[in-house]
Amino acid sequence: MSRPAQQPPIDDDTANPKVAASALDFLLIELVPLAQRITERLHAREQALIDEYKRSRIFNRTASKAPAGHKSQTSGDGSNAAEVTVTDGSASAKDSSTSTVTGAEGAQSAGSGDMTSLGFPVMDDSTREGVFFRLDALGYRVGQGLVERFSANKPRPTTPLDAIKFICKDLWILVFRKQIDNLKTNHRGIFVLTDNRFHPLSRMSVDRRAGPRAAEDAIARAQTYLYFPSGVIRGALSGLGIEATVEGSSSEIPTATFQIKTKGAKP
Amino acid sequence: MEARSPSIAAIGVIGRHNNPLHISLFDATGPGYEHARDKLEYSFMLNSCLDIFEARMPNKTIGHDFGLLHALDERIAMYGWLLNTGVKLVIVVDMEGRPALSPEAGKTAILGLRNSDLTPAFQALQTAYISLLRNPFYVPDDHDPRATKGGASLQIASPRFIKEVERVGKAWYPGTTAI
Repeated sequence: MSRPAQQPPIDDDTANPKVAASALDFLLIELVPLAQRITERLHAREQALIDEYKRSRIFNRTASKAPAGHKSQTSGDGSNAAEVTVTDGSASAKDSSTSTVTGAEGAQSAGSGDMTSLGFPVMDDSTREGVFFRLDALGYRVGQGLVERFSANKPRPTTPLDAIKFICKDLWILVFRKQIDNLKTNHRGIFVLTDNRFHPLSRMSVDRRAGPRAAEDAIARAQTYLYFPSGVIRGALSGLGIEATVEGSSSEIPTATFQIKTKGAKP
Repeated sequence: MEARSPSIAAIGVIGRHNNPLHISLFDATGPGYEHARDKLEYSFMLNSCLDIFEARMPNKTIGHDFGLLHALDERIAMYGWLLNTGVKLVIVVDMEGRPALSPEAGKTAILGLRNSDLTPAFQALQTAYISLLRNPFYVPDDHDPRATKGGASLQIASPRFIKEVERVGKAWYPGTTAI
């Protein structure tokens, strides 16, 4: 092995970051459409498999009528398959259009086709959920790694509030280059972090010409950009030994609110 | 009798829920000390450290270094280090682990170790653990007894991490400044 045995030393000079800030921004921006594409493609593939399976079952049923050898077994199977096709009849008819579409077109057509006033496709609920789980899981892993790496020379947080403060101050500066502006807690396990100018949202704007619904549409689209940071918070807290659920939301464009519910919290 | 100097006998990495993540054993060297270390005996030893971590945790809020946890006999002593994420690093030191290379080194077996002697070893282990977490193939939740359903082994399998722990265990000697 030509690799030197000595590991490069960990430096904690957070004022002199080693990754270009813009690169991180682009990565954060690109993550959301990536997750959306993956989810939609998986969705389309799953649908295609289900349809193929159904077709094969129907084919098998008609084919199995000729040989009478496995009469008892096929009759049982046949009734099962019939049930499936009856209950899914409406769904399969509707989804057949998406299932035949594969590859690149799948990304566009698997979405419900609903457009916002700005002409961008809106995700339907199941896609949105898939995107959320994907981004949250990515953020979770990143948060776990970040907390191990950057809490190394910090005092150990002994209370949940200390851990949240670590996130507000240290972690937020590392990832988003500013501190959380406001931290509220009910002292019973619920924390609300508010960032008045959340970095990923700071360059988004609302198209005022598009009418009164434009703000809502913009917030709905910005919402997906809060899933990854929520996951980062959840991962960091889990690294510090706190199980929590994190919900990111935005009421107005550059502002982001993260509600953290630790396990066993009382409202 | 030949002079002996301290060496690391075992390194234990213990997870947040007191699950063993990795244990490395290092046999003593030199004539008369060849018998292999018993894995079960050392895992019991590491287990016995957990209560000491637990007891000292409330009144130790700053710093990772838990220093000497306890000394089993005149040869074996255990030193601990706690990461902020609850992962515990334990180094078992054998005061007569290797033959002394110089008369100076032979004295440490009698005088004992200073607390700061093990700091470089712990720092190297912490660096190794952080690098492990930066490995995309390592999923921390796969090594957490609460997150997994059980069945699979929770031990760390990363060859690079294991190799690094081996290196630290072999490279350390009293008074070293960097590993």
